[in-house]
Amino acid sequence: MSTTHHQHTGTAPEGTESGRTARRPVPVAKVVAGLAAAVVSGAAVYAVGLPSGVEIFRTDLADLTLPAALLVTLVLGSVVGIASARAPWRVVDIVVASVLGVAGGLLFSVWNAVAYPLVSAAVVPPVSAWYVGVWLLPGVLGGLVIRKPGAAVYTELVAAALSALIGSSWGFSVVWYGLLQGLGAELVLALFLYRSFRLPVALLAGAGAGVVVGVLDSILYYPELVPVLQLAYVGLAVVSGVVIAGLGSWALTRALARTGALAPLRSGRDVERV
Amino acid sequence: MRPPTDVLAGPVGVDTSAPLARANPVAKLAVAALVAVALVLTTDLVTVTVALACVLLALPFTGVGARGLWRRGWIVVVAAVPAGVVTALLGVDSGATWWAWQVGGTTLLDVTAGSAAAGLAITTRVLAIGLPGVVLLATTDPTDLADALGQVLRLPHRFVLAALAGMRLFGVLAEEWTTLTQARRARGLGGGGRLSRLRTFGSQLFALLVLAVRRATVLSTAMEARGFGAVRERTWARQSRFTGRDWLVVVGGLGVAVVSTAAGVAAGTWRLVLLG
Repeated sequence: MSTTHHQHTGTAPEGTESGRTARRPVPVAKVVAGLAAAVVSGAAVYAVGLPSGVEIFRTDLADLTLPAALLVTLVLGSVVGIASARAPWRVVDIVVASVLGVAGGLLFSVWNAVAYPLVSAAVVPPVSAWYVGVWLLPGVLGGLVIRKPGAAVYTELVAAALSALIGSSWGFSVVWYGLLQGLGAELVLALFLYRSFRLPVALLAGAGAGVVVGVLDSILYYPELVPVLQLAYVGLAVVSGVVIAGLGSWALTRALARTGALAPLRSGRDVERV
Repeated sequence: MRPPTDVLAGPVGVDTSAPLARANPVAKLAVAALVAVALVLTTDLVTVTVALACVLLALPFTGVGARGLWRRGWIVVVAAVPAGVVTALLGVDSGATWWAWQVGGTTLLDVTAGSAAAGLAITTRVLAIGLPGVVLLATTDPTDLADALGQVLRLPHRFVLAALAGMRLFGVLAEEWTTLTQARRARGLGGGGRLSRLRTFGSQLFALLVLAVRRATVLSTAMEARGFGAVRERTWARQSRFTGRDWLVVVGGLGVAVVSTAAGVAAGTWRLVLLG
């Protein structure tokens, strides 16, 4: 937490830092420049396009432009955001994020075992994208509650790993899913320099994760679908991410903060106690 | 409805002395990752079939019996089949039409030779990607996994151990759930019609989440009091070593990826998956 960051309650000290009490101001200019560079390089990859006519294993490189651009933006932006925001994690941040991740894994398992077979039997892609937001909720929630760089990725990853441990229909692949979905939400929070966690930011974080899961599903599960259906799938996944993960996490965070359970965390600081 | 709590029981009904079960968790992780990456790139029938065959050939050396495999892995099968059926119905059509469902002259669903082959490939692929993960999780104790992640992969130990601690809370939370239910019943909540039951279920879930977060903050205080996270380098009670045998396992995983991809390229069917 930086000294330049004033909350409603003034700059309350961050509890007991474990070991390192690093309190350097966030280098805003550097962060903005880094994030802009990430977005620009992603856009550049898309605008320039991968060279056409070059073939890898009989696949035209030009056809890989969109996934490549998305991946470049996602990874560069998240790395820049996490690396530059210089807010050291305290033990309480780590343990609460882990527990939220475990709760998310529980949600995933119950959803995968009970609800998912029922809803997935009734609809086919692209309509089936309407409920993917459920799998994006822990990441956005972790990001909003912990308010530290990397919180969204970490929480989503723990949730995904646990649901793999319990056993899910997709075996181990859910772990990679969790990592990338978390990065999608993380990038949005990084774009706001980890300074704003209001409703619009939460909704955008849900949208970011939604784009990732939509593209991933289209590539992995429905590569043979016609492009129009794939686009519809991604669009619906974004809507689902915004509503279920974005709005849901925001409401959950507020409700949690009202109970006082988040008092040791940054998100519990600026809540009026009833 | 209660959450499954036997997750932390570790390998149950598995011969832990089998060569692949004994391997370092990180090596098993690498195999699952390598196979997954190779099969994410393509959807052709040749590559995925060869990969699945390789994985099935390795099964006898994992110590997971047929019954154990089914108990852990049936859910993968349940996921694989619908994905294939959806592809057969909605996939890009080519070749002879086998079956079609028309409403008012427009074809809504149809199965052609091309889309059926694609569907079969998708099912095989989900199986081949899923099975190594099933084996990894069936033969690995979570504590060993955390040790390996911290010592072999050198992931930040504070995060690895906190995640393990969070998982240990998992079993406790299941008991909390029962306590919450009983407390609510004692106060006359939780009865009534289906809708009010759903509402109480929701508010009880939220109560569980609040409890979990409160526990986490108390736990973190206790951990810090014992010096957790105070030092950059920590010592480990259990040593997790990555030996030459583990490298062999990784090479085996690489072999599955290379052989299946080579088979696909040789057959001329290997094609990088695209958006559209």
